[in-house]
Amino acid sequence: MINEIINHLEDGIAALQTLLYVDAVQPLLFRLGLMGYDEDTYDALYWVIVGVLQIVVMYALLRPLEALIPAEPWRDRRETRVDVIYTWIAKLGVFNIAFFFLLQPVFDHLQSLMAIHNVPNIELDALWPGVTDQPLASFLIYLVVLDFAGYWYHRWQHRFGVWWELHAVHHSQRQMSLWSDDRNHVLDTVIQAAFFAGLSLFIGVEPGQYVMLTAVGNLLQSVQHVNARLPFGPVLERVLVSPAFHRRHHAIGYGHEGTRYGCNFGVLLPWWDMLFGTASWNATLEPTGIRDQLAPPAGGQRSYGEGWWSQQTYAIARIVERLR
Amino acid sequence: MTHPLSRFANPSLRRRAQVLLLGALMACSGVAAAATRVIVLDSAEAQLTLIDPTTHKVVDTQPTGKEPHHLMITPDRSSLIVANSVSNSLLFIDPRTGQLQRRMEGVDDPYQLGFSPDHRWFVTAALRLNRVDVYRYDGHTMALAKRIPIGKTPSHLNFSSDGKTVFVTLQDSGELAAIDLATQTIAWRMPVGNAPAGLWMTPGDKYLLVGMTGEDDVAVVDWHKRQVVKRIPTGRGAHNFRSLDDGRHVAASNRVSNTISIIDYVALTKTRDITGLLPGPDDMELTADKRYLWVTFRFARHVGVIDMSNYTLVDTIRVGRSPHGIYFADRAPVLGPNPD
Repeated sequence: MINEIINHLEDGIAALQTLLYVDAVQPLLFRLGLMGYDEDTYDALYWVIVGVLQIVVMYALLRPLEALIPAEPWRDRRETRVDVIYTWIAKLGVFNIAFFFLLQPVFDHLQSLMAIHNVPNIELDALWPGVTDQPLASFLIYLVVLDFAGYWYHRWQHRFGVWWELHAVHHSQRQMSLWSDDRNHVLDTVIQAAFFAGLSLFIGVEPGQYVMLTAVGNLLQSVQHVNARLPFGPVLERVLVSPAFHRRHHAIGYGHEGTRYGCNFGVLLPWWDMLFGTASWNATLEPTGIRDQLAPPAGGQRSYGEGWWSQQTYAIARIVERLR
Repeated sequence: MTHPLSRFANPSLRRRAQVLLLGALMACSGVAAAATRVIVLDSAEAQLTLIDPTTHKVVDTQPTGKEPHHLMITPDRSSLIVANSVSNSLLFIDPRTGQLQRRMEGVDDPYQLGFSPDHRWFVTAALRLNRVDVYRYDGHTMALAKRIPIGKTPSHLNFSSDGKTVFVTLQDSGELAAIDLATQTIAWRMPVGNAPAGLWMTPGDKYLLVGMTGEDDVAVVDWHKRQVVKRIPTGRGAHNFRSLDDGRHVAASNRVSNTISIIDYVALTKTRDITGLLPGPDDMELTADKRYLWVTFRFARHVGVIDMSNYTLVDTIRVGRSPHGIYFADRAPVLGPNPD
């Protein structure tokens, strides 16, 4: 039954992919003399369609929960509007795909040089042929390895001042919702995409699988930010980062505070927080945002920007101020 | 329910029934070996699909490595080599059943592969890495002779009959290159046009036909003089070839027009187009009786069966994403020196 549903869904996506490619994308590539990208573009289109479907599914599943069992009651959803724009840009994988293909030639050249000079190459899924190269096994291996890197990447975002100013765009959201995850500074997104794409190439993740990892990661992170009471229970919340666990990371005075301290940095898996002593299971509901945004005397009522553009430019201004 | 891709093709149910009936009769009479399979590489899914050649049903899938694109029979016909371009490995499988025999690691980005007609050399084109690697072949093992950095995205290979030269299309450089195998050095490079792909040698090593994927023709190259002497209009996205073993014709797939052109390689003209296909016709294979041409539809997740008696698509079979290479043991011979 489930297989049938998946097969029908797959068929539908495949048919849409073919129609879009044959009728719109491929004629354009041909006209522009870019047929060298014929195969890669067709394969990438699959994941763009998956990205759009992901937004549809996310909205259909999570938005009713936010309406029915909100974690925080809001008078309106005004502050979430800008996050919708961030989500469309990010969920389509625009940055990740672009950087993967931009970086790939550089890494391919490096790989070629390594072979010519007999330097061994790393390919994690070749560790145990027949087992680790099975699609699901290699997917899980890469997921865990990339998530471990993601934990440290996230800690460094809070540790280094200039980097924090970029990451503050994400934390300045005071209405955490299903749309919040992708609210990030463009520069931060670029650094992040380069970091993870580079790491993925180094450990041997293939392009299709990389986009799949991104898609799964995005969906789980949207769940983490949802404004709904979704108890994961004591077992599941130690397997996957829950909304309560991640909300604690966004809590003013608890989860993060510039470069000073913080907890619950895990991206998809809370394992690294448990391992390195940064996990907090306290699920008390606290206001989210940055202390600086609060009215005096608690904070300086600093604005981190209302719209997409102001949020982006204010971050640069804060960095300049910090570097002076 | 109407098939979502039905607007691209209209296989006749009657013909399909004929194929199935023929298959059933062959199976009952023991004409076809029970375990022989059509082997299709699903390049975007790291797997190969095994199809029963008589019933046209998918019977199994097997994991390969990442991005298997092309395959090649060994000179002794004991193994079919599947080249996993992103996993940097070769799989040796049973050419009849598709079952794994052994795996060879450490072959960098083997996108395309081939044995020289004298069986002394094994060559791989590393499309991502802009390189051609030449191996010495002793009938059993491959020993790396040289890695040769070359122009952008080397994609398809072919050889001269004497086994002295391997020709390579450079997709993003728009060139054809020749490598001298004895010295493993680039002998020459020449421009041929936008996105050259498949290569096919006419009898007597007279001309090389080049599928121009960025254009709508097959370039005829007098490689002795290093000149494009003619362009045969075929269809947009001309890509790869399969000899039809009739002493006169070769099929060329057109990946944008979604047609297959039949080329008279003596007169160097197109004689007809096969239309009504699914999107992205790519690699082809011909049955031993020359009746059916199998083709992978790269952009439609299907394989097609074309009845060559009336040039009609008679069946389509759903496989994995981006099906590329295709092979079956009971096939018509390939006209040498073209890759076997």
